[in-house]
Amino acid sequence: MFAILVGTHGRFSEELVKSCEMICGEQKNVRAVTLVPGEGPDDVVRKYEAAIEELDCTDGVLFLNDLFGGSPYNAACRLVISNEAYGIVTGVNLPMLIEMCSLQMMDDKSLTIQDIMAKAIEAGKSGLQVFHASQIAEDEEDDL
Amino acid sequence: MKIVLARIDDRLIHGQVATVWSKATNCQRIIVCDDEVAKDKIRATLLKQVAPAGIKSHVVDLAKAVRVYNNPKYENDRCLLLFTNPTSVLYLVEHGVPIKSVNIGGMSFREGKHQITSAVSVDDKDIAAFQKLNEMGIELEIRKIDTDKKQNLMDVLK
Repeated sequence: MFAILVGTHGRFSEELVKSCEMICGEQKNVRAVTLVPGEGPDDVVRKYEAAIEELDCTDGVLFLNDLFGGSPYNAACRLVISNEAYGIVTGVNLPMLIEMCSLQMMDDKSLTIQDIMAKAIEAGKSGLQVFHASQIAEDEEDDL
Repeated sequence: MKIVLARIDDRLIHGQVATVWSKATNCQRIIVCDDEVAKDKIRATLLKQVAPAGIKSHVVDLAKAVRVYNNPKYENDRCLLLFTNPTSVLYLVEHGVPIKSVNIGGMSFREGKHQITSAVSVDDKDIAAFQKLNEMGIELEIRKIDTDKKQNLMDVLK
């Protein structure tokens, strides 16, 4: 199984994981890592390393970060640069995290970390939708 | 129609259904079967537009649900049926729709209801319908999502 580390500025990651659990149930191989005011990238690296120690990382580690270029991302880069089974996707949102949790549960050994990263991007993007009253069409042919 | 899941969840299409159950059941259609919701044009319209990608969602009243079930046009379609209450399920069963198992996902608490689990509250009408379904040998299992352990509703209805 691959591990999911959600690393963000502030407690966003913790709450994001909790929100995800409202929908998908308890997630055992997912960890929220926070960067709180006063901490720096070194602290985050230590938190990532501690989480990696505890989680099942047999098939790699997927880092989901909030902001490209931010400290949680920069800290993840330090670990990812020396391990080909690790990868980072930024712009984490709830649809992306849910999709990754269900992918993780399938435990498909044929997927590489790059495949998993591509699926995360796809899920994050397709979670962005719009709705406006003008979109409602009376398309009766869709009815049963 | 192949009924891949019959679920009572008065939130109807929401996160657990749209992401977890639609995948777990690999359904092609989500059909909300409810007289009240079918009458409510705004609610029905909104439900139709929150279908997950690749899945069609529909809102029908109970009489139409029975007709749709019997329509040979949908014979091979994998359908997830959603209900807000067990009385609607009983209507379908009594009109010949062969539902063998009912998943109870969420029935919210309201004045006059009695809470039996964190996610399920029932009133006398619900209890009567559940008892009838149980007498017909239909499984009544409480689960929020597919990986939860099944809990027999009749065991907590005491």
